[in-house]
Amino acid sequence: MTEGVATANAALRTRRRPRWRISEHPYIWVAPLTLLLLATYVYPAVEVVRFSFTNATLLNPEYEYTLRSYQALQRNTSLGGLLWITFLFVFASVVFQLLLGLLIALALNRGVNRNLPGVSVVRIVILSSWIVPGVAAGIVWQLIFSEASYGFLNSLLRDVGLPPVKWLSRPDIAIWSAVIANIWRGTAFSMILLYAGLVIIPKSLYEAAAVDGASAWRQFWYVTLPQLRPILLINTILISIFTLNTFDLILALTGGGPGRATEVLSLYAYNLVFRNFDLANGSVIAVVLLAISVVFTFFYIRLLPKENET
Amino acid sequence: MRMSTKQRLGDAGTYLAYLVVCLFFAGPLLWLISLSIRTAAEVYVSDIRLWPQNPTLDNYFSVLGNQLFPRYLWNGLLLSVAGAFGAMLFATPAAYALSRFEFPAKRPVMIGILAFQMISPLVIMVPLYRYMDRIGLTDSHFGASMLYIAVAAPLFTWMLKGFIDGIPRSLEEAAMIDGCTRFGAFLRVIMPLSLPGLTSAFVLNAILGWSQFIIPFILLSKPALQPIAVGIFNFQGTYNTTSTQVLAAASVLSIVPAIVTFLVLQRFIIGALTAGAVKG
Repeated sequence: MTEGVATANAALRTRRRPRWRISEHPYIWVAPLTLLLLATYVYPAVEVVRFSFTNATLLNPEYEYTLRSYQALQRNTSLGGLLWITFLFVFASVVFQLLLGLLIALALNRGVNRNLPGVSVVRIVILSSWIVPGVAAGIVWQLIFSEASYGFLNSLLRDVGLPPVKWLSRPDIAIWSAVIANIWRGTAFSMILLYAGLVIIPKSLYEAAAVDGASAWRQFWYVTLPQLRPILLINTILISIFTLNTFDLILALTGGGPGRATEVLSLYAYNLVFRNFDLANGSVIAVVLLAISVVFTFFYIRLLPKENET
Repeated sequence: MRMSTKQRLGDAGTYLAYLVVCLFFAGPLLWLISLSIRTAAEVYVSDIRLWPQNPTLDNYFSVLGNQLFPRYLWNGLLLSVAGAFGAMLFATPAAYALSRFEFPAKRPVMIGILAFQMISPLVIMVPLYRYMDRIGLTDSHFGASMLYIAVAAPLFTWMLKGFIDGIPRSLEEAAMIDGCTRFGAFLRVIMPLSLPGLTSAFVLNAILGWSQFIIPFILLSKPALQPIAVGIFNFQGTYNTTSTQVLAAASVLSIVPAIVTFLVLQRFIIGALTAGAVKG
């Protein structure tokens, strides 16, 4: 009897898993995507490293191998400034996007828990700024910061009797204007992630804390923040890379100016390759960008929960 | 009673926060719209009036009457849809395999998918431009589409795999016992059940494609081929300061399609977007 069932099962299994079927091979399924990614990411990444060791230009098909670009990088006196501006832009954007995103997520979560009307409207308003194309966001903020009479912020200052601010024409202010525009565009992403993280915190933790007499502040400090930690870390890494790669917003807002006050690394790489046609030196900067991404990605992958396979 | 006063104060504080947040996030867009419906003279009126005295839609007509602008919109739609559709073709089988099979290369492929999302399109465009130029793929929608697809495919796969993970295996196993091949079960069982996941991944990637700037900016130099994001950038470069209101109208037209699409389908998209990062 048991034997009969076993045979029947075996027969079923061979019917269920016909080994000769081509569709049983996982590599067939992932092959198209893998080939696409190899051709459009791995191959270019290798090429950009290779070009960084040459003297290639976009104009001349001939090139030879040399370390000149890396040597030039060492002598490049503007590099320190570029790195500092990039760091400032990324660091300030990330800090404020996280803080603002967390505050908004908390406010939304409270509104949902208390069944307050209008919460979904607020969420949609914030998400709209995230959907705006980067170039359009740059134009929008240029109209806000503009020092012409249609500039919103300076009109506001004038109405309350304050002197105008040179939002985009003073180097030390322009970088902060770019940061503000980037916070406006990027905060929604952090808000979505952190809100999703808040929602899955078990209610029982708060109840237990309340029973122990913990104030709202202590509940936030000892329950909410530790529970959010993994998502906060993942969020930090993702928006750091997104901000590092920001290009269109700054190009439309300031074009890297005044002078080079807002020229971040990605803009510099673009200018080198596609304005000066200097493929070799541009590749060096691209390699730097790539290396930073790789480091961040490494931490990101370590943070992600390992999948429990079934 | 004390509790309820405290809660009411809390509610008031929450609404105050909402107000500040809405002012910061909606304010710039409202200002853009306000400028876009002004006459040239009123742009230079120096008090802050959100609703102009003589509102006009002339700026919109002048933008849409422009020879190139409707083309930019069309190109933007074409490229973003082509990118999302192509990404779907590459992502769907891969997402299925990553969800259902165990194989040695699975983890490397998953990590690759995550890692490639971190690489700026600018970095890959630096070496690719040279080759695409040589084989005539610059100034072609086909060449640009391939890169739109490459940029969208990792996110598409990641989102869709998360969705397929949620479909019980028993359903396709039942179909296979009934004589379906695995491919048949994939087509007849998994694909129809994945429709919500496919839709949200498609829409989100199409919206991101609509915003895509670096790829078309570098690859497409002919204005007639450029999508809207590049179009308004060029527009910004060529307009003179007396036509700020027209630039504003053009910007509104570049934003509205993305936001409307997003609003209609937002519930779908947000759920799918957070699934990967929060689960586990």
